[in-house]
Amino acid sequence: MMDLVQNSIEAEATEIELTLCETSEQVEFSVKDNGNGMSKEIQNKAIDPFYSDGKKHAHRRVGLGLPFLLQTAEATGGRATIESKEGCGTMIRFCAQAQHMDLPPLGEFASTATMMMSQPSNSNLRIVRKTRSDHYELSRRELEETLGDLNDSQNLILIKTYIGSLEENLEKAG
Amino acid sequence: MSKLTLNDLRKLRDDKKKAMTQRDAENKSGEVIIGMGTCGIAAGGKAVFDAFLDEFEKVGIQDVSIRQTGCMGLCFSEPTVEVAAAGMPRVVYGNVDEETARRIVREHLKGKALVSDHIFDKPSVDIIKATGK
Repeated sequence: MMDLVQNSIEAEATEIELTLCETSEQVEFSVKDNGNGMSKEIQNKAIDPFYSDGKKHAHRRVGLGLPFLLQTAEATGGRATIESKEGCGTMIRFCAQAQHMDLPPLGEFASTATMMMSQPSNSNLRIVRKTRSDHYELSRRELEETLGDLNDSQNLILIKTYIGSLEENLEKAG
Repeated sequence: MSKLTLNDLRKLRDDKKKAMTQRDAENKSGEVIIGMGTCGIAAGGKAVFDAFLDEFEKVGIQDVSIRQTGCMGLCFSEPTVEVAAAGMPRVVYGNVDEETARRIVREHLKGKALVSDHIFDKPSVDIIKATGK
């Protein structure tokens, strides 16, 4: 998930939206951005683990973000899709069976979200987190307006506490 | 914990600010940069990030910022952490787990002594190029 958000940042997106929806049967998420997008040809190449556009690391011969996602989807009875249009943006969707033993644990979402919010970028990242009965939303722009510098360690602790409280509330709602 | 709102968050920040001396991002006495490429995340970068935040709170360090960076080309020694503290050489630490992160806070940032057994002595070539050092 963090890798995909990073991809969107690198595609020079100004708006990124991560939606994560969890129920007892299914885990589903999507990352949608208004970045550079990919042509059909690049989309096909992007799912090859031995393809990288070579912009970030000139000598690197692997690009594992999307291949890992597809592999996880396949291993967990789920599906991952890429929709993209050059110049318009990209939408990546993923779903998996929640109880599947090969599904990597989500871990503590509060710290994952805190890290995504403080990644260096000029994009506004929105995170929508849903369960069956409740949801909450986070926006990087709102957090920045509220707190200021998102790399400040004190602010990071506050963000983590804040998201932790929203997570706790979500869990209570079931 | 009851559900917090953005207003609560603003209030918490103001409370904390009051308790602190005035400072801004440029005035920070240190910076911690954690490698968060695919390799860094896979090697446990997130746990290291959490450990830094937790230890800052425990030790009471408030003037250090935490940034994330991509792969530094040292995938074999991830998680890597670069630490810049006032009056100390800039150091890249390798194979940083949670305990090492806590040691970096206590020994390097607080105690001003390098955590010698985790120093990765030379930053990768692209970093040297990028910073011109």
